[in-house]
Amino acid sequence: MSRFTMEEVGWTPRIPPVEAGTATPAQLAALEACPPAQRRSTYFLTLAQDPASLGERGALFNSVMYAPRGLPRADREFSTAVVSMANGCVYCTSVHARRFAELSKQREAMQRVLDEGHAVETDPRRRAIADFSEKLTLTPGAVTAADLAPLRAVGMDDLEVLDLIHSVAMFANANRLMQSLGETEKQAAS
Amino acid sequence: MTPDDLVEDLLGIAPGSPLAELRRRRPEARAHAQGAYRELLMPEDPGNVSHAERAALALRVALREDDRALAARFRALLEAAGADEAIMLAEDLSDGIMEGRLPALLRYAEMVAAKPASVGQDTIDALGAMGLTPRDIVAVTQLVSFVPYQVRLIAGLRAMQGESAA
Repeated sequence: MSRFTMEEVGWTPRIPPVEAGTATPAQLAALEACPPAQRRSTYFLTLAQDPASLGERGALFNSVMYAPRGLPRADREFSTAVVSMANGCVYCTSVHARRFAELSKQREAMQRVLDEGHAVETDPRRRAIADFSEKLTLTPGAVTAADLAPLRAVGMDDLEVLDLIHSVAMFANANRLMQSLGETEKQAAS
Repeated sequence: MTPDDLVEDLLGIAPGSPLAELRRRRPEARAHAQGAYRELLMPEDPGNVSHAERAALALRVALREDDRALAARFRALLEAAGADEAIMLAEDLSDGIMEGRLPALLRYAEMVAAKPASVGQDTIDALGAMGLTPRDIVAVTQLVSFVPYQVRLIAGLRAMQGESAA
């Protein structure tokens, strides 16, 4: 049984998050740059301790995950779920697997990848995205133009490839922040 | 002079080239990656973690991730500041346990970069005991987590450059 899930997983910070009621103007401004649905989460309130980095990093995250056109949002979520699995981030995997399932209605396919890894993926586009995402995550120095050929073969244009690179890179960042600054709540045995 | 965009400067992506034009179709991602680099390496108010310490941490992560071109940029920041000892410590990959504040910060950088799951409450509390505030701890963690972003962005763009050269 895999440790990955798309059920909700808890996360407890290892340093005190900023309290919304007592946040400084700089902290509030930095939170405004973050995705609206998440800017009041414990995680973003923890990052708000350093508003200078959160303002830029939150805006970067927002653009990478939500900028219009280019790579469909479901593909970005699928990629970041695969990256999070490769980096062992159970929390991030759960969030982005869930978002992929909601956007794509491919819940069973996502569950299979969570349980058995992306080698079982049979959809050619998702398989190409997963293979590239894992390689850029684990061995960035070994990635060459040849690794882009499977993405081109499933019809991805330059903007889609750039969006995919951004998504993978973003979760090299997000998975490290999430695992370092807080404790992921253990799954209840089922 | 500091280039307008570290990644394009490092990869030799010329203004007006197809890859430069492509990146301009994602102007926020381009601007905020550069902005995060600026705010993490050379913030106006660095708190209790100096610019030299920040550059040393970034240098260590880039070396561990084996991106020599990026590492050279961080080394240059330290050279410009005359921070020879910081360069020596950051480039010492021998895994020897050294006393002192920067070696301890470098060990934290390695954990976050290579084995983030091994960070625990005791790791974070040890940073606090060294005099780092919650803000400093977030800043350092953001910094050593951002270099891996840069490494993968650079690797991906380099592959795209290879495509157009083929």
